[in-house]
Amino acid sequence: MISLHGLTKVFPGGVRALDGLDLTIADGEFFALLGPSGCGKTTLLRTIAGLETPTSGSVHINAIDVTTLPPGRRDVAMVFQDYALFPHMTVADNIAYPLRIKKVPRPERATRAAEVARRLSLPGLLHRRPAQLSGGQQQRVALARAIACRPTAFLFDEPLSNLDARLRLEARTFLKRLQRELAVTTVFVTHDQAEALALADRIAVMSHGRMIQVGTPAEVFQRPATPFVAAFIGSTPMNLLPGHITSGTLHVAGATLPAPAGIADGDLVYGARPEYLELLLQARPDAFPGTVSVLENLGTSTLVTLETDDTLIQAVVPEGDEPPVGTPAWALPRRSLLYRDGRLL
Amino acid sequence: MIRHTIGRLAATVFIAVVLAFFALPMLWLASAPFDASPAITTSIPDFTLRNFAAILDNPYALGSIRNSLIQGGGAAALVVVLAALAAYALSRVRVPGRDVLLYLLLLLSSVVTGTAAMVPIFELATRLDLIDTHLGVILVVSGGLLPAAIFILKDFMDETPTTYEESARVFGASSLQILRHIVIPLVRPGLATIAVWALASVWGGFLFQFILLRDPAKAPGSVILYTLYTEGGSPRLELISTFSLLYSLPVVAMYLFVSQRYGFRFHGGIKR
Repeated sequence: MISLHGLTKVFPGGVRALDGLDLTIADGEFFALLGPSGCGKTTLLRTIAGLETPTSGSVHINAIDVTTLPPGRRDVAMVFQDYALFPHMTVADNIAYPLRIKKVPRPERATRAAEVARRLSLPGLLHRRPAQLSGGQQQRVALARAIACRPTAFLFDEPLSNLDARLRLEARTFLKRLQRELAVTTVFVTHDQAEALALADRIAVMSHGRMIQVGTPAEVFQRPATPFVAAFIGSTPMNLLPGHITSGTLHVAGATLPAPAGIADGDLVYGARPEYLELLLQARPDAFPGTVSVLENLGTSTLVTLETDDTLIQAVVPEGDEPPVGTPAWALPRRSLLYRDGRLL
Repeated sequence: MIRHTIGRLAATVFIAVVLAFFALPMLWLASAPFDASPAITTSIPDFTLRNFAAILDNPYALGSIRNSLIQGGGAAALVVVLAALAAYALSRVRVPGRDVLLYLLLLLSSVVTGTAAMVPIFELATRLDLIDTHLGVILVVSGGLLPAAIFILKDFMDETPTTYEESARVFGASSLQILRHIVIPLVRPGLATIAVWALASVWGGFLFQFILLRDPAKAPGSVILYTLYTEGGSPRLELISTFSLLYSLPVVAMYLFVSQRYGFRFHGGIKR
C-alpha cells in the first residue's frame, strides 16, 4: 500500500509541481497517473521513488514513512521511459544488476535472471547487449530487471510510449496480464488516456500539480468530474457547449431540452460525447442543428463535424451511415452531462 | 586545359614539398640511429648498431626511461582519478558559477604550467621537501594538466544520460557503486584519452623535470636527452637520434594500443 499525505513539491524557481496531494493506492492495485505534459505526474512518480524530495507532506509505503529514505531503501523498482538499460552490460547482467547490489551470490543471480527472462520470453537474448535488441525486447528487459528484485511496488514512467503503435497494443495486453499474475502494487505514468483506461484499476487525472479526479476507468469515463477531465478522457473529445436553463428548459446550441430536476436556472456547460450523439436527417427540437462540414474516417465509424454559426458539434456515426458534406443534419443526444462553475451537476 | 594541368601540377608539387617538410625529420629519426656517422642531413645510413650499444653504456639512459614511466604513469593515474571525480561532480551537481569556474581554471592552468609560476613552485617544492623526488614532479605536472582534463571529461559525463544513474539508485546502488559500475565503464574512452594525453604531455615535458630534479638518476628521458653533448657543447647526433628513437617507442606503442582498443573519441558519448 502506498499513501501520500499533503504531498507538495515546489521546485527552485517557484514552480509548484505537486500541490498538497492526498492519495492511497491499495495493495496489488494497478494505478495510473494521467495528465497532459507538465501536470506533475512524473514528478509524483519520482517523489514516490525517492528521486525527488518533497517540499512538504509524506510518502508511506506499507505503513512505513519513507519520505526521507533514499530510493534504494524504499523497496520499489522503477522502469524509466527510455528503459535506462546499461549499454555496457549484457541482458543477463542488466537483469541481475539489482541482485548484484543486494550482494546475492553470482550463481543465484544467474539462475534468477534466467528464470525472469524465461517468464518474459527473453531467453536466447541473455548474452546480447541492449543496443542489439528491438524496442519491445528492450522494454521487456527493463521489466525483467524490475521484477528480478521482487519489490513491494513497481513504478513505470510512460512504459509504452517508446514503442510503435502496433507493438504498443500488444505490450499493453502483456503488461496487464503480467501485473495480474505478479499482483504487485503498480503505479504508472501516462499521457495517453486510452492507455490509462485500458490498463488501470484506478486512474488519477492530474492537472497543474493537483488531482482533479480519482476513480475507476468507468467512473472517470462516464462521469468526468470537471470539463477538463471530460475533454481529456475519451478517444474523441467530448462536445462541451455553453447552455442556459430558464424555468425548467435547457437551451443549448439551437436545441431545447427538458432540464433535469433540481437544477437552478442560469448558465452552464453542456457535455455530450460524440459517441452518444445520434445523427438525424430530420429536424427535431431536442436535437442540435448544423451542416455537415468535415468527415473523418475512423475505420468502423466516422467522426462527423456539424457546423453552425458559432459552434462545432462532433458526432460518431457507424460505418457507411455518414451523410455527404454540406447536408443539414441534427445531432440527438442520448447521454449528457451538465457542468456549472467547473463542477459536474 | 593546359592551365588546368599546370594548376594541378603546381598543387601536387606544393603538397609534396609540405609533406617532405614534415616527413624528413621522421625519416632522419628512422635512419640516423643506424648510421655510423650521422649528420644533420638525411642520407642512406652507413649501417651499424653501435649507436645502440653506446647509448646502453650511458649510465642514465635506460634508467631515465624508467623514470619517465614512473612520472608519466603516476601523473596520468592521478590526473585520471582526480579529473574523473571532479568532472562527475561538476556534471551532476548544480554549482553556481560552474562554467565560469571551469573557464577560469582552464585559463589559469596555462599560467601554472608556464615559466611565470616557476619561482613560486620551486619555492613551494623546496619547503615541502619535494625537490629531487618523483612525487614532486608528479604533483606539479598533474596540477597543470588537471583543468583541461576536467574540462574534457565533463563533456563525456554530460553526454551520459542521468536515467542510468537514477535507475541504479532506485535499485539501491551507492554513489561509489554507481561511479564504478555505470559511469566509469560508460566514459572509459574518455578516461583512456585523458590518460594517454597526460602521459604523452609528461613524456615530452622538460622544464619542470629539469628544475625540480637534481639527481641525474631520477631524471626522465627528456632531461637526459639534454646531456648528450660533447664537453665542447656540440650535440652528439648519433646518441641523440638513437635515444630519441628509443624514447619515442613506448609512447607510440601506447597510442596504437589505446587507439585500437577504445578509439579516440573527443565527442564520443553513447549512441542511443
